[in-house]
Amino acid sequence: MSAAAPGTETGSDTGSTTAPGAERPAPGRWTPGRTAAALLLPGLVALLLTYAMPLVWVARMAFNEPLPGGAIRQTLTLGTFADVLTDGHYWRVIWQTVELGALVTVFTLLLSYPLALFLARTTTRWRGLLIALAVTPLLISSVARTFGWMAILGNQGVVNKTLQSVGIIDTPLQLANNLTGVVIASTEIYMPFAILVMISGFGRLDPELERAAASLGAGRLAVLRRVVLPLTLPGVLTAGLLVFVLSLSGYVTPRLIGGGRVFVLATEIYDEAITALNWPVAAVLSMLLLVLFGLVIVVYTRLQRFVERRILGERGAAS
Amino acid sequence: MTDPTTGVPSPTAAGAGAAGAPAADEGHLVLRDLVKTYPGRHGAAVRGVSLSVPRGAMLAVLGPSGCGKSTTLRMIAGLVAPSAGSVLVDGKDVTGTPAHHRDMGVVFQSYALFPHMDVAGNVAFGLEMRKVPRPERERRVTEALELVRLDHLARRRVSQLSGGQQQRVALARALVVRPTVLLLDEPLSNLDAQLRTTMREEIRRIQQETGITTVFVTHDQHEALSMADRVAVLHEGRLEQLGTPQEIYERPASRFTAEFVGRANLLPATVVAAASAGEAAAAEVEVPGIGRITAQGASPAPGEPVTVLLRPHRVVLDAHDPDGGIARGTVLTAGYTGETVAYRVRVGGSGPELDVELPSGSHRPSAPGAEVGVSWQQGAARLVPAAPRSGGDAEAADGGGPAGDRDPRGGAA
Repeated sequence: MSAAAPGTETGSDTGSTTAPGAERPAPGRWTPGRTAAALLLPGLVALLLTYAMPLVWVARMAFNEPLPGGAIRQTLTLGTFADVLTDGHYWRVIWQTVELGALVTVFTLLLSYPLALFLARTTTRWRGLLIALAVTPLLISSVARTFGWMAILGNQGVVNKTLQSVGIIDTPLQLANNLTGVVIASTEIYMPFAILVMISGFGRLDPELERAAASLGAGRLAVLRRVVLPLTLPGVLTAGLLVFVLSLSGYVTPRLIGGGRVFVLATEIYDEAITALNWPVAAVLSMLLLVLFGLVIVVYTRLQRFVERRILGERGAAS
Repeated sequence: MTDPTTGVPSPTAAGAGAAGAPAADEGHLVLRDLVKTYPGRHGAAVRGVSLSVPRGAMLAVLGPSGCGKSTTLRMIAGLVAPSAGSVLVDGKDVTGTPAHHRDMGVVFQSYALFPHMDVAGNVAFGLEMRKVPRPERERRVTEALELVRLDHLARRRVSQLSGGQQQRVALARALVVRPTVLLLDEPLSNLDAQLRTTMREEIRRIQQETGITTVFVTHDQHEALSMADRVAVLHEGRLEQLGTPQEIYERPASRFTAEFVGRANLLPATVVAAASAGEAAAAEVEVPGIGRITAQGASPAPGEPVTVLLRPHRVVLDAHDPDGGIARGTVLTAGYTGETVAYRVRVGGSGPELDVELPSGSHRPSAPGAEVGVSWQQGAARLVPAAPRSGGDAEAADGGGPAGDRDPRGGAA
């Protein structure tokens, strides 16, 4: 930097005298663009090595031909795609993945919204502590939390034991080893993410607006419906996107609580790659998951734009 | 009020409230001993404010920041629950009524316009809440926007409006529901100086056109004096004085009011003799460094200490005849401000220093060091009731002392 500084001064001098060629910065000269490039480089390299290259490798694998016994024939074929897309089992897996994602997203948003709203609005000096408390589950590995849910939801779990001892039910409720259990556990696991995203997305919320609405005759419900909800919708949408995407790629909870009965893309990819040693099929399923992500992003962007235009009434670049 | 020279019947709690008088003399909006304490905070934000606003009148609640004026307004609106006391509208106690059933229009300091609605949407909100049918709603929104001269911007986003326009939308939104009382919280504080003057007249015009009982909170004495029919001066959560702008400015009931409203020279003095009583009460007092002068206002017994108020613009300096005035003075500083020249003058050899303001162009300016004759018209000097609290500051009042006993009005109420 210190070596470049004198060059900057002479450079600006020649620039002011409109010398031809002064537009192009001399080699080794400091420019904002070069600083930006230098700062971006480490991250770019890391991304290339750890993300782009494996992705390309997986994509390439999808076009190979699987041979019995886990062998692979290097080729360029769409055969595996055709096999997967014509197999009803895989469509059921895709459907279950989307269904689980949708259910988990809806329940997570419903349960997180009131909490996030409270945390965003509260003026207590314990606010920081309360927010920390809401996200402390993140400190525990989701594997451990999933095992916890198994202990709670299983046939011999806390819920069933309690309900049976009180006499509300005779036979245990099927809360684990099925989609219900996965939805319950996933919802709890993703709530801290949703709460965090919502709190940071609720910036537009101003208690004075609620007071203004009240002074104009709006009861609590009307304030919520007409003022709070529209203004918090962007944050809710972003939280929804995050939870849906996390849920689509979720592996641990569907595997452990699903008890081998809930098939989603993540578990299926693992099984194909590790158990069946069919890497090309695993790669094709991974590509399908990527396509799913792409679709989700498209839907999210559309929704966000709709909310901004129609509900918040913002136009184009207006802040 | 404590000021016995106030001829106008001032409907304060000191009059009607405490005596439990019937509603005959009561105003449209009445506050009775409103108190607000916040948990964990030492001392109360509002310490027993009682006042009354006649129907159709405009009351300014004036005070420095932290005096409890905004809290008082929010208690009237139902946005803050009072710790004690009550709010009455048309003689009916509304203290327990939630804000959305109080039928009061509020204009917030930040305007609090709904960012997700356009101008018309903001104004229509209160009507929608009242289930006013659409045709009437649209008509009234248009009317309200015409009233604030914004009908051409009905479809504009509030984020696209200037501060002054937002202020008008907030006003229209509060007025369109035809509230029983209009409350304005520092309505002009976010506007630049020029716009403030325009909006001052605008709000006054609208208030008079609609005839709506209005309370507005301000820390700006010019705003309070120029807009309001009545001014309530609030200090440390207490009502310092309630009166017309003239009363507040010309006959301040306390040292605080005298200093807070307008500029003031406050001179310690001793009563020599009471000259007369009643409406034209006056007294002869001895001011150290100046001598014996006559001051207007009721006085305590001879020998008692008093404070004499002398407004800077009522003092006259005569550079030609230094000995022809009430006292002889020396100019310490002179500052030209355009419309006036502000002097600081020491009276006598070691007497008090006076702020003097003379219209520029009306006199030949005196330079620092010049000897001048200091005088004022008969009646310019005014006695300020020597409230005991003027001796103690805020800490002293908060420090566990019998604060109530120190307040002369507290005893009167």
